[in-house]
Amino acid sequence: MSGVQMILGRIKAQAVAWILAAALLLVAIVMNLFASGVLIDIYTYFCLNLLLVLGLQMFMGNSGILNWTYVGFVGIGAYASSILSTAPAVKDMGVPNMYPALVALQLPILPALLVGGLVAALVAAIIAWPLMRLSNAVGVITLFATLIVMHVILTQWDNVTNGPRTFFGVQYYTTMWIAAGAAAAVLLMALWFKESSLGLRLRASRDDRHAAKAVGINVVAVRYFSFVTSSFIGGLGGGLWAHYITSFSPKSFYMGEAFLLITMLVIGGAGSISGATLGAAIVTIMRELLRQLEGYLNNSGVIAFDVYGLTEVAVALLMITILIWRPGGIVGGQELSWPLWRRRDNSAEGE
Amino acid sequence: MTHTMLTIRDLHASYGAITALHGISLDVNEGELVALLGSNGAGKSTTLKSICGVLRPVYGSVVFLDEQIANKTPESILKRGISLVPEGRDIFTSLTVAENMRLGAFVSYNRKRYQEDLEEMFGLFPILKERLHQPGGLLSGGEQQQLAIARALMSHPKLLILDEPSLGLSPALVDQIFELIVRLRERGMTILLVEQNAERALRVADRAYVLNTGVMEFSGTPEELENELDIASVYFGGGEGNKEVTL
Repeated sequence: MSGVQMILGRIKAQAVAWILAAALLLVAIVMNLFASGVLIDIYTYFCLNLLLVLGLQMFMGNSGILNWTYVGFVGIGAYASSILSTAPAVKDMGVPNMYPALVALQLPILPALLVGGLVAALVAAIIAWPLMRLSNAVGVITLFATLIVMHVILTQWDNVTNGPRTFFGVQYYTTMWIAAGAAAAVLLMALWFKESSLGLRLRASRDDRHAAKAVGINVVAVRYFSFVTSSFIGGLGGGLWAHYITSFSPKSFYMGEAFLLITMLVIGGAGSISGATLGAAIVTIMRELLRQLEGYLNNSGVIAFDVYGLTEVAVALLMITILIWRPGGIVGGQELSWPLWRRRDNSAEGE
Repeated sequence: MTHTMLTIRDLHASYGAITALHGISLDVNEGELVALLGSNGAGKSTTLKSICGVLRPVYGSVVFLDEQIANKTPESILKRGISLVPEGRDIFTSLTVAENMRLGAFVSYNRKRYQEDLEEMFGLFPILKERLHQPGGLLSGGEQQQLAIARALMSHPKLLILDEPSLGLSPALVDQIFELIVRLRERGMTILLVEQNAERALRVADRAYVLNTGVMEFSGTPEELENELDIASVYFGGGEGNKEVTL
């Protein structure tokens, strides 16, 4: 009987992610059939954001540690995969100071994306151990400082990244299909990770670090492996993003982006996959609408001065509002559950 | 039957300059329920910390199943079969009851055995089955205490240590917890019970130890303790008005 209950519980816990993943692909099909180029672009952008937010959720959502460095690993993945996938002639022209060995190096796009993720994971593996020993405010400040260090390296190492100048000439590869497929795959992975033994131990350490030690959990090791996994997804997502946007500079991987990703996660609810998805959707839609509004205001001359930065202000206000009224995010820590199952749960409680 | 499971000999422990244990000795035999009693600051928690590897003893030996464990890490002591239910019901409040139980089992996780263990726990704690997919923080105090004990049992301990299991519970719930302790003992579980509620603990224990300011003042059966009434009155009645013992 309870074996059946266990299995039911497991299906119930995973149903949300399967439904969301199927919905992602379904929307892609609908978009492909009916939508215009702009909508397809917005949807692709949403899928890439969702993928990045889910990668962030893996560590931040389950450990409760505000992860500022994540966007830096996205940048490492973007640069590593772009350097590998771009033709030598293009690099020769675009990045004049690049090391000759790097210029000569070229891989097909898929292996390049994979290596991008691996390089991000490797850097994470090298720097993360001391970081993972820290908790609370100290941990957050240290991770924030680490992002600044990463940014300085990206802007100054012009033999690799072209310095603060734009890195251009990356091939366009990430279509809406690839973005939606990758986001759906990462969605299932994020759920699997959350329910896995590692994810469970990580969530236990978030709840009560000392109790986690008491049941035999090595908190630093659990955090470390989760951080590396999350950084790998970030690097992979960065590569896909780079092959969608095709030209970028280090400032795409700094405070502004970090803030946007963290907002997406916090608004929806960092503890759950459904929350991360909802947050990514809300922020993407808001961003597009406000951008249109901004364009309209500035072109029509309704207001005497030009309006800039509406998105940032609105997103920040939304975050403040949510944090005041629902500190756990819109969805909260538990996954959304199907109404049918919820009813059955309640009747079981009544017994 | 009386195979010795845990043997503590001449254990000294200190926090920096302050010595908390002045050479205590204690035995727990297989299948026994041993009560460790004493007032605040007597050294009960220090003794437990020394057994579980949280505190390194200054001198003395802790032998568990013929193996010296005085300098082992908490994880490795847990793996050897000593499971502690800490004071104050340290459960994971945002994780579900099922997840809490899985964490208890994780030192030796085996899916098939896990399912069987879960069934067994539902037999002992029917309420946990109903609450299986609810966050632990939504359980009542008594249910949380049951969950904490169930989580400890999931690791298949050879020795279960309960630190003040009745603390902060209403009298009716205290009854429930003690009934549970008796049931566990009847199933052959070896238990070391630390309690301030001496009267209740002595009613269920096979043997008892009384600690006072880091020195073992008494050891023997509850009946023997009863005969040495002055010890009882000094350490349970004297000075602490709310802890009256009618032995």
